[in-house]
Amino acid sequence: MAELQASESKDEPGSSSVVKIMKPPTTRIIPPLNFCPVERQLYRSAQPSIINQPFLKDLNLKTIIWLASEEPQDDFLDFCSNCHINVEFVGLMNEYAYKNVNPWDSLSEGTIRRALEIICDKENYPLLVCCGMGRHRTGSVIGCLRRLQGWNLASVSEEYRRFTGARGGRIMVELLIEGFDINSVQVDPSKLPEWLG
Amino acid sequence: MSGLPEDPFQMDEELDDRSLKSVNPIARESNQQDQRLLRDGNTSNKLKAVGTQSHQVPNDIPELLNPVAPTYGDVTDAVDDDEQQYEEDLDDKLDRSMYNQKTSKEVQFSLPTKELTPPENFAPVINNIYRSSFPHPNNFTFLRKLKLKSVLCLIPEDYPDSYAEFFQEEGIHIFQLGMSGNKEPFVNISNELITEAVKIVLDPKNQPILIHCNRGKHRTGCLVGVLRRLQKWSLSIIFDEYRKFAAPKERPMDQQFIELYDESDIERYAEKNGLLPIRWD
Repeated sequence: MAELQASESKDEPGSSSVVKIMKPPTTRIIPPLNFCPVERQLYRSAQPSIINQPFLKDLNLKTIIWLASEEPQDDFLDFCSNCHINVEFVGLMNEYAYKNVNPWDSLSEGTIRRALEIICDKENYPLLVCCGMGRHRTGSVIGCLRRLQGWNLASVSEEYRRFTGARGGRIMVELLIEGFDINSVQVDPSKLPEWLG
Repeated sequence: MSGLPEDPFQMDEELDDRSLKSVNPIARESNQQDQRLLRDGNTSNKLKAVGTQSHQVPNDIPELLNPVAPTYGDVTDAVDDDEQQYEEDLDDKLDRSMYNQKTSKEVQFSLPTKELTPPENFAPVINNIYRSSFPHPNNFTFLRKLKLKSVLCLIPEDYPDSYAEFFQEEGIHIFQLGMSGNKEPFVNISNELITEAVKIVLDPKNQPILIHCNRGKHRTGCLVGVLRRLQKWSLSIIFDEYRKFAAPKERPMDQQFIELYDESDIERYAEKNGLLPIRWD
């Protein structure tokens, strides 16, 4: 639309009959679905698409934790390499060390632990955690992070369900979060983000 | 949990039948985890809850799920209020009895557990700007961690007396802009009050700042929606965020307010004071 106006106004420079649109439509910033800040410089969302790229640039991300079992789309990977964003693949289907056999399986404890260890290292910030829809896998990791922070389970559940959409939360995910052994996460205390210390 | 087969945590809705059949093994599994956690002493809160029923075996599963329910059930809100005719407006009223009852006792109870309880509907908005519902005394431990400089309260009612001490200790400055929520058909959130609120929130001198109303849904949602408009977010995404926090009581009028709010005054003010664009840390 903006280009169209530009060419119209160039048409006849001297003519006063040319209608100039004085107030072109403002650009819209479109965050990915289910986007929300979690803590300072830590964000969560669904898989970003092309229309989210201007927004992602504003976040100045250093790392993206990819939790889906499928590879992201190529344009997304191109964007990340152009912006020097490091993509950490955690929970891919084909990594034999992780037992995710189906895209709809929950994350394994090992996968969550690996994601948390990335989150607990401030060198990786600003950081985005995402999966396909930003609901259950992202919710599992953020839920376990909240337990690590000492949140009580009711508050963790409330937050998880806020992002699960009309079909609601899954008890299985909540059991996973509740049963997760937070003491198994290995962190370097000197690298903890400020809000975790 | 390492030895647990993958299928108890099947996530596909189509497989509901299968996962239902395997509910029992999970119940036992999570019970064991419970007991392990209890031994670790990490969940002293639960210790108290569970300890009352001498030997808890599989039947404490409902107990596990209980904490989830109150967040979404609105039954409790509606019961003991006498203004039955506007059921949905009950959220806008501060139920003072609720806060006065559990003042000093609640604080003492929450300290030894060391578990952090954020207020309902708590989330960061941008950088050092946070949103939530009306904070309870048992949220104070959590709120201390935010090192707040100020709190913006969007309801007209005053805080219970017991709150003064907490705010003073923390050196938190209180801004109060009492506004009524959008109520069909006559009551509207005022444009000017929201503009004033945005000025307070965007001022770096006041940050970190917590915005709250009663439930953190409608008035807070409108203000956050306006902040998103200043960030130039697309309206659909703003509405989506509004609905997430307002669920299950989304108000079309609130979304209309967010869309129709005239931002020219605040934009002029913000540009003059170098507050725009709002950059992510």
